[in-house]
Amino acid sequence: MPTSHLSKAITISGDLESDGELQIFGNVRGQICADRLVIGPGGFLEGDVIARDVHIEGRLEGRIFALNVTLDSSAEVNGRIFHNTITVAKGARIDARMPWRPPSYFESLETLPEARQ
Amino acid sequence: MSMFNRNDKETDVSAPDKPRDVTSASVAAMPKPVQPVAASAPAPDLSSAKSAGPSVISKALKITGQLESTEDIRIDGEVEGDIHGVSVTVGHGAKVKGSVYGQTVELAGTIEGKIEAKKVILTSTAHMAGDVIHQDIRIESGAYIDGHCRPGTNKTDYKPAVKPN
Repeated sequence: MPTSHLSKAITISGDLESDGELQIFGNVRGQICADRLVIGPGGFLEGDVIARDVHIEGRLEGRIFALNVTLDSSAEVNGRIFHNTITVAKGARIDARMPWRPPSYFESLETLPEARQ
Repeated sequence: MSMFNRNDKETDVSAPDKPRDVTSASVAAMPKPVQPVAASAPAPDLSSAKSAGPSVISKALKITGQLESTEDIRIDGEVEGDIHGVSVTVGHGAKVKGSVYGQTVELAGTIEGKIEAKKVILTSTAHMAGDVIHQDIRIESGAYIDGHCRPGTNKTDYKPAVKPN
């Protein structure tokens, strides 16, 4: 699946929907639905995410619905993290609830990429 | 004594064996604090250099909303909304519903809306439904245009981040 790349110069306000990987280094305000989301260092997302994998090195304000979540040491998260597996690196700033959910919970999310196919 | 099976010689070796057991026990304890360090090694897949460069909206991505960039944008997917960029390339198979503003706009896909740019290039696969406001335009044979092409006034209501040459 092709990778989308949003550089640090970009600002998007709106909803993003992708079957592949999405890398955010800029500013995004809106809902994201992707197979894999990466918020790179310096990237900022304000909104909800539904994805299979989420990897954060930047900032996020909103909710994450993802099977696998990785928060890097430079991550800053504010909101809720619905996950099945989570990895948090030392140094990550988290002000969030992290509810665990079984894999079936994520399959039932109708906007999850797998469910749409 | 039955737990030390390796003692063939009964009395003589028992004395040197005891310190050996102490050292082996301490060695066995050593790797334990090392393990969690080795376990927490997530695969780093990003280099900071990747944060620069053009933005790419791949064909798997659909955006509903507004895009603004002070650098180049390449669109291979679908965008419903306005796009402000410096150099905007709409690739073959891409679709944009909305206005596209920039210094340079190159179209090989479909735009339903408006193009407003200093330099406009419509390639042979371009499908343009809407007006084109330009100062410099190139239209290749095979391009489809349904709309007015007119030279824009010099007022630049798009925001050039780079000085036009």
